[in-house]
Amino acid sequence: MAGAEGFVEADNAEAIIARIEHKSRKIESLLKQYKPVEALKTALEGTYAMTSDERCKSAHWIAVHRALMAIKDVDGMLSSLDPEYYDILMKYLYRGLSTGDRPTCDQCLRIHEKLTEKAGLGCILRFLTDTVNTV
Amino acid sequence: MAVMAVHQFAQCITCHAWSPDQSMVALCPNNNEVHIYRLVEDKWEKVHVLQKHDQVVSGIDWSTRSNRIVTASHDRNSYVWNLEGSEWVPTLVILRLNRAALCVQWSPKENKFAVGSGAKTVCICYYEQENNWWVSKLIRKRHDSSVTSVSWHPNNILLATTSTDGKCRVFSTFIKGVDAKDSIKGTLSDSKFGELIVQLDLSSSWTFGVKWSPSGNTLAYVGHNSMIYFVDDVGPSPLAQNVVFRDLPLRDVLFVSERTVIGVGFDCNPMVFAADERGIWSFIRYLGERKTASSPSRYGSQFSEAFGKFYGQSKHGVSNDTVDTSRTRGAVHENCINSIIPLGEHGALTRRFSTSGLDGRIVLWDLENEQDILEL
Repeated sequence: MAGAEGFVEADNAEAIIARIEHKSRKIESLLKQYKPVEALKTALEGTYAMTSDERCKSAHWIAVHRALMAIKDVDGMLSSLDPEYYDILMKYLYRGLSTGDRPTCDQCLRIHEKLTEKAGLGCILRFLTDTVNTV
Repeated sequence: MAVMAVHQFAQCITCHAWSPDQSMVALCPNNNEVHIYRLVEDKWEKVHVLQKHDQVVSGIDWSTRSNRIVTASHDRNSYVWNLEGSEWVPTLVILRLNRAALCVQWSPKENKFAVGSGAKTVCICYYEQENNWWVSKLIRKRHDSSVTSVSWHPNNILLATTSTDGKCRVFSTFIKGVDAKDSIKGTLSDSKFGELIVQLDLSSSWTFGVKWSPSGNTLAYVGHNSMIYFVDDVGPSPLAQNVVFRDLPLRDVLFVSERTVIGVGFDCNPMVFAADERGIWSFIRYLGERKTASSPSRYGSQFSEAFGKFYGQSKHGVSNDTVDTSRTRGAVHENCINSIIPLGEHGALTRRFSTSGLDGRIVLWDLENEQDILEL
């Protein structure tokens, strides 16, 4: 995206990871306040500043994973999530499904079904065809 | 209902084209022949079979004023067919390709035609009077992969192409002796043949189905990632819009008016897109009948079974009927629609068009009763 995020590649990975750590603290505090939906939104924001650095991707994933596992009301979460985040959420769901870890997969599958209902097959297509911005 | 008529011609149709008076349709039933059918008292009669190609015919175009058919096939050849008496006589066009020809289109003035191929080239063919044959000039550079679709700008010089490398490009096809010098106004008037005017890199997946709007100001093309791209003011600083939509990808588009586009593809149901007063494009609705989300739709046991297995794994009681009910079954087309052709006068407003698909059907559509679309 434009602006500061656009120069992420020029920054070193450390700067990004520092930003993600800052985000993680915010996510933790939101979760403590029983606001899992806001936590997920915070986690998904800024992931558009994609890098190809594996450490950054892992750091992003850890933050998103933390927020995803805390979601109990999937329908509520999806109805308050901005449609522009559907595609990025789908990508993280598939990352979750690829971990093979039982609780993660269960949660991701649950969300995947609802998200497909809401966003349609096109959302899955966009995940499959986007080889440039992977998570 | 927007559907005027549904005709089953074969098991599968790769491409089709209409005669100038729309009384005959030429189609390829997924083999190396072109069949021409004429409507005789409510029944379609096969009146001609054009047999010259060795492999499947991937593109047919029928010129409206000169009544010539051009066909392109996977056998790397193209033929121009002229009606002499009651027979269609083929003329081989030596394209100099070493891969399949994928798409073909006559230019607006019908003095040239463009062929997109798997050889990463576009052939622009024109007729040389002295030698009485069609000459092909190749645009060899620039494409990194197969050229899936070509479309002529109304000025007969600019050609837009889409390719499986994800990009849409606009070239100049100015040929000395064939095109008048002042055909393009403005900054583009000095362009040479094969010059790349603009390259649009909006999609990361294969692109198909490029078309110009009636005025030539806007370009629309689709990506295999369920997105459709609209580009205004094609030139040095184009304005691009990426429109995301719910369902399966599209394969072809048609400008019904300057601000309305119909897209067809794997959803078997045409989609209507329109631009509002600010010029922002968005999806409006489907054209055909759709099953609403409230009724549990049986859209083929295979599909729901697969979803059932997938979600059943999580051991939650899921009703797989509710998933993705937007898919239509028992719709007009039962398989992917891969081509959409306008019917009637090629003007600023197209009311009627036809679609053909992998189910072997050609469906004729009329927007006469779709007031909400006509008023867009």
